[in-house]
Amino acid sequence: MDTHAALYEQGKARLEALRELSPRHTESLKQKMEQHGITRRDFMKWSAAVTSMLALPLPFSTLVAEAAELSDRVPLIWLHMAECTGCSESLIRTDTPNLDSLIFDHISLEYHETLMAAAGWQAEENLEHALEQYKGNYLLAVEGAVPTANNGAFLTVGCKGHTGLEIMHHAAEGAAGIISVGTCAAFGGVQAAAPNPTGAVGVAEVVHKPVVNLGGCPPSEKNIVGTLMYFIMFGKLPALDMFNRPKWAYGARVHDNCERRGRFDAGEFVEEFGDFGAKEGYCLYKVGCKGPYTYNNCPTERFNHHTSWPVLAGHGCIGCSEPSFWDDMADFERPLGRQLLYGFDATADAVGAVILGAAAVGVGAHAVVSVFAKPLED
Amino acid sequence: MGKPATHSRDYIFTPAIRIFHWLRALAILVLVITGFYISWPFLVAPETNDTQVQSILRFAHLVFGFVLTAITFVRFYLFFFSRNDIERRSFRDVMSINSWIKNLKSYLWMGQLHKQGVYGPLQFMTYVAVSFMALIICITGLVLYANVYHLGMGGMMWDISGWITAQMGGLAWVRIIHHYLTWAFCIFVVIHVYMAVWCGIRFKHNSVDSIVSGYDYHKADH
Ligand code: HEM
Ligand code: SF4
Repeated sequence: MDTHAALYEQGKARLEALRELSPRHTESLKQKMEQHGITRRDFMKWSAAVTSMLALPLPFSTLVAEAAELSDRVPLIWLHMAECTGCSESLIRTDTPNLDSLIFDHISLEYHETLMAAAGWQAEENLEHALEQYKGNYLLAVEGAVPTANNGAFLTVGCKGHTGLEIMHHAAEGAAGIISVGTCAAFGGVQAAAPNPTGAVGVAEVVHKPVVNLGGCPPSEKNIVGTLMYFIMFGKLPALDMFNRPKWAYGARVHDNCERRGRFDAGEFVEEFGDFGAKEGYCLYKVGCKGPYTYNNCPTERFNHHTSWPVLAGHGCIGCSEPSFWDDMADFERPLGRQLLYGFDATADAVGAVILGAAAVGVGAHAVVSVFAKPLED
Repeated sequence: MGKPATHSRDYIFTPAIRIFHWLRALAILVLVITGFYISWPFLVAPETNDTQVQSILRFAHLVFGFVLTAITFVRFYLFFFSRNDIERRSFRDVMSINSWIKNLKSYLWMGQLHKQGVYGPLQFMTYVAVSFMALIICITGLVLYANVYHLGMGGMMWDISGWITAQMGGLAWVRIIHHYLTWAFCIFVVIHVYMAVWCGIRFKHNSVDSIVSGYDYHKADH
């Protein structure tokens, strides 16, 4: 059997098993879609789009559709560490509920601090209950970095004052799969920027399990939902790249699929914001675009219902989905070669200039002394 | 008969070493210029975008990048396996503290520079460092290249490039290392040219000549 056929069988078996479980909601996804005026046709289009985004052949779209309908069978626990909730926002803050946000609503979300009604002791109890009841089966999504300095004391959550580190260890134990949603959870992100006093790190560094990293500040709703769909469909995590990011989303650089790439190749660059080139849609490399070092599918998937993305809006990519974000991507509005007296690279460039100067001075001094030094023969 | 020769001559550098030296010099010159261009594209776009300014400069950078990669590869091979051992001989000086002291003193205008092979120990270690710099700039360059072109050789290098990228901490770091090494090369070239000329003047040995003609002309008693 070829790999796709085998994968298809695996997905079918998994979905059949899920169908046996009791749904969390009384309303089916179909009823919800009807309430929101989303047609069956929209749903099929969505399934096909997600299928192709996941780099799967079209026949899998029936599986995707089924997985979406059965998504209320897979318990999901969503934790917030040191973060800004922007990743959750990316997913839920759409102008009209579209399928992505609807499915997130439909999914068996057991615990999510932003979205739950409970508070205080009750919230804590919900979390403990969920971790216990679904032990070994739940999917764990984490948003935010984990502070580790002072034994994690820089982050305590909930009425019992557990540190983020403790909660992470505990929650990771019973997880069937862990997804780091966003750059902070994946690599530390802004929280881990130098000098990183709280010792913030990505989730993968404090748990001893494979973690899927969804880089991005925030990642697009498509990348979050796509990863959830993959897990629901196959019960396993997708193929990952060198930083454990799903290959289907982070397989190419922003620069590879950018709509301004033709301008780059032609040497047509925006020199400063608001100039003629900026109005014409020239390449943003010289105003600091980090697209050439950043793996992500922003140019093809975009954000907010495929409306736009940073480069389309006229600002360069800031490399937010990379492990070296934030420090190494600074300065956001200058390329690597023009960062004098700014941040990390800049300092090194200044050092480089000093060394070169010193070399020239040294060489000059040596030459002068040589002129006056006694010849060897004497 | 003519006058007796005032100078004797020694055969120093094999044609292979000389050819590769100048090819390497050319490649580095072109790579530094085109590299800084890539880093900050300073030419203004022409009227039409039929002329792919950036692509053409990147093309030159890549072609000379491959030239440098090939030379770096061949030179590592030649250093170890060339029949002529003039380079390898210097290794004995490197292991001898005495040679190091003599070498450093001679650079401070004290005494002669005696050496077993063609290089002094400090010079030898500098070249070793430069060779490894070349190796790393070629590796980072090839990793960047695998991201530029996804078919052919670029495609073949994709998996190993991904692994190297992860070791270096992301593509941004690959680029930063590539960029900083460019500066290291600039600094090396300044010192290298100066030292070659200075040694010729100070020790009356023609180091500049010998990398062109292969021969070192000097007074018989030196
Ligand atoms: C002495 C040797 C070399 C020097 C001085 C050099 C210099 C540079 C510099 C300064 C950059 C721009 C980096 C930045 O600021 O973003 C660059 C980019 C690049 N170099 Fe090199 N380089 C060298 C060798 C190579 C080699 C051996 C290769 C491999 C074929 C290579 C391939 C590349 C590629 C692919 C890029 C990126 C181009 C792009 O993104 O469009 N370089 N190089
Ligand atoms: S705008 Fe950025 S990503 Fe797009 S072509 Fe220019 S450098 Fe590449």
